[in-house]
Amino acid sequence: MARYLLYRLLDAIPTVFLVLSFVFVAMRILPGDPALAALGPQTDPAQLALFRERMGLNDPLWLQYLKFLWDAVRFDFGVSFLSNQPVSSLIARNLPHTIYLTLTSVVIGLALGIPFGVYAATRRNRPADSALRLYSLLGYAIPDFYLAAILLIVFALNLGWFPILGAGTGFWDGLHHIILPALTLALLKSAFLGRLTRTSVLEVLGRDYVRTARAKGAREGRVIYRHALRNALLPLSTGIGISILATLSGSVAVELVFNRPGIGRLLIDAISERDYPVIQAGVLMFAFFVIFVNLAMEVVYVLIDPRIRMAS
Amino acid sequence: MGGPLLEVRDLTVAFGPRDMPLRVVDGVSFALDRGETVGLVGESGSGKSMTALSVMRLVPEPPARIGGEIRLDGRDILGLPLREMPAIRGRDVGMIFQEPMSSLNPVMTIGDQIGEAISLHGRMTPAARRARVIELLTLVGMPDPEARIRAYPDQFSGGMRQRVMAAIAMACNPSLLIADEPTTALDVTIQAQVLELMTDIRERFNSAILLITHDLGVVAEICDRVIVMYSGRIVEEAPVEALFDAPRHPYTRGLLKSVPSFSETRERLYQIAGSVPPAGTIREGCPFRARCPLRMPRCAVEMPPMAAHGPGHRAACWATAEEAAA
Repeated sequence: MARYLLYRLLDAIPTVFLVLSFVFVAMRILPGDPALAALGPQTDPAQLALFRERMGLNDPLWLQYLKFLWDAVRFDFGVSFLSNQPVSSLIARNLPHTIYLTLTSVVIGLALGIPFGVYAATRRNRPADSALRLYSLLGYAIPDFYLAAILLIVFALNLGWFPILGAGTGFWDGLHHIILPALTLALLKSAFLGRLTRTSVLEVLGRDYVRTARAKGAREGRVIYRHALRNALLPLSTGIGISILATLSGSVAVELVFNRPGIGRLLIDAISERDYPVIQAGVLMFAFFVIFVNLAMEVVYVLIDPRIRMAS
Repeated sequence: MGGPLLEVRDLTVAFGPRDMPLRVVDGVSFALDRGETVGLVGESGSGKSMTALSVMRLVPEPPARIGGEIRLDGRDILGLPLREMPAIRGRDVGMIFQEPMSSLNPVMTIGDQIGEAISLHGRMTPAARRARVIELLTLVGMPDPEARIRAYPDQFSGGMRQRVMAAIAMACNPSLLIADEPTTALDVTIQAQVLELMTDIRERFNSAILLITHDLGVVAEICDRVIVMYSGRIVEEAPVEALFDAPRHPYTRGLLKSVPSFSETRERLYQIAGSVPPAGTIREGCPFRARCPLRMPRCAVEMPPMAAHGPGHRAACWATAEEAAA
C-alpha cells in the first residue's frame, strides 16, 4: 500500500511540471504589464524599468522559465509584486481558510446528500424521490456565486443571523463566519451527491446479495445501510472526489462574495494585478490539492473494496 | 404439530393491471412434509422461482400481487404483515440462490456474512458466534475454516461460495430449506458435492428441502417427490420413481425424452416442438396445448383439472385422464 502510494506520488510529478509550464506560458501570453499593474499608471518610466530589472522581467523568456522552475522545485515562490511580501507567507496565511472552507462544506454536503439520496432510492417515484429530483435540478442550475449572494442577502443582511464579511477570529467566531459560505458550497454539493447516491443505491438494491441479505432475515434498514450503501459507496466515492475538487472552483466565487481570505481570493486579486509569483504559487497549490484529493480517493477505494486491496 | 410443514394452496402471483392480470404463478397448490425433499421442475419462466420467493415473501409487492394461502408450520405467511417476515426468513426458512458468484456481498468477509445470519436471530457473544461460524463452515465441507472466515467472496471458487451460501442458509437450522437452482452455475463435479451436502444437511437436521431445478438428473438423485410446472401452473406431481417410470403429462414425457442417455444411441436428442409461452399469456385452456402431441379440442377451452394416477401421482391432462379412466 505504502509503495503503491509512493508510485502514485511519483506519477504526479509530470502533472505538476505541466501545470507549472502552462501557468508560466499563460501568464506571459495574457496582455498587461506586471510592472505597470504593481506600481500604477502614474509611475516614472525609470522606476518601471528598475522594477522590471529587479524582478527579472527583462531576462529572456527561457531564462525566466528555468529560474521559475528551479525556484518552484525549492518551493521558493519569491516576493509578491504587489505587496512585497514573500509569497510563501501569503500562502501560509490564506491556505488554512480554504482548507477549512472545503472540509466544512464537504462534511455538510455529505451529511445532507447521502441520507437524502438513500431515502429517495428507497421511495422510488414517490414524493420524496420527486423532491430530490427537483432539488438536484436546482442544484445543477444555480451558479455558486448567485446562491452565495442570495444566502448573504437573506441570512446575513436582512435577517442578521450571520456576520456579513470576513473569516472571524477564534474557533466559535470562525464557525459563525463559515456557516453561510460552507452552506453555499454544501447545498450545491448535496444536490449532486444526492442524485448520485440515489442512482448508486438503486442499482445496488437490485443485486443478488441484497436479496440474500433479506433472505437471511435482515430488516430494511440493515439491508440498506450495511449491504447496499457500502457497495454503493464504490461508484459514489468517485463522485465525492469530483465534488471535493469542484469545491475549489466554488471557493473562488464564495471567498469573493463573502470577502473571506483564502487561496481563491488571493488568486483572483493576483490575476487582476498580474502578480506573477502569487499566481504561479496559487495555481500550484490548486494542482497539489487536486493530486492530493485523487490520492486520498484511491486510498478510500482500497479501504472500501477488498477486491482492489487483493489486486494491489 | 400435525399437518405438513409447508402447505401452499391456490397460490397466484400476478403483475400488471387488475382487469388483465399477468399471472406468472396461477393456482399452484402443493405440500411439503418434514424431512422430505421435493423437486420443483420446469423451464425458465415456468414460475418455479416465483413460487419459492413467495414462500419467503421476497417477491416485491407492489408491483406483484400475491393471492392464495401459504402455511408454514400452520402459520399463515401471506396473512402476516411484511414487517414480521424478517423474523421468519433465515430462522424458519433458509434459502440458497442460483448465482453463487453474485449472491454474496463482495465487501464483507464470509465470516461476517455467516455470522450476520446467526446474530439476526439470536444473541450470542462474538466468541460463540465465531465458533458457530467455524462449525457451519466445517459442516459444509470448507477446508481450513478458521483461516477462511476472514476471506472475501472473490477469493472463493463458485463451488466454495455455494457452500458459504449453504452455511448461511443453515445458520439457524431452518425447518425448510429452499434451494433455487443451487447447482446450475457449477461444474458437474462440484454439482455432485453440493447435492451431497444438501442430502447430508437434510439427514442431520430433518429439514425439508424444496429444490428448484430444471435438471431432471438432479431430481432423480436426491428428491422424494417431483412437482412439474409449466407456464405458471402445476401440470404433474408424483413420487420420483412414478414420474420417471410412468409420466402422465405429455410435457413431462417430453422433458424426460429430452434428457440425453448413455444407454441408447439416438441420432438426435428429442426436443419438444415450439417454445414456452410467456407465463400468464394463456388465459384459457391448457397452456401446453400448442406443443402437445395428445391435443384434443377440449384443451383449448378448459384447463384440465389434476387427475389421480396412483398414490401421490396427479397430472393435469385431458388425454391421459381418459387413458387412466379407460
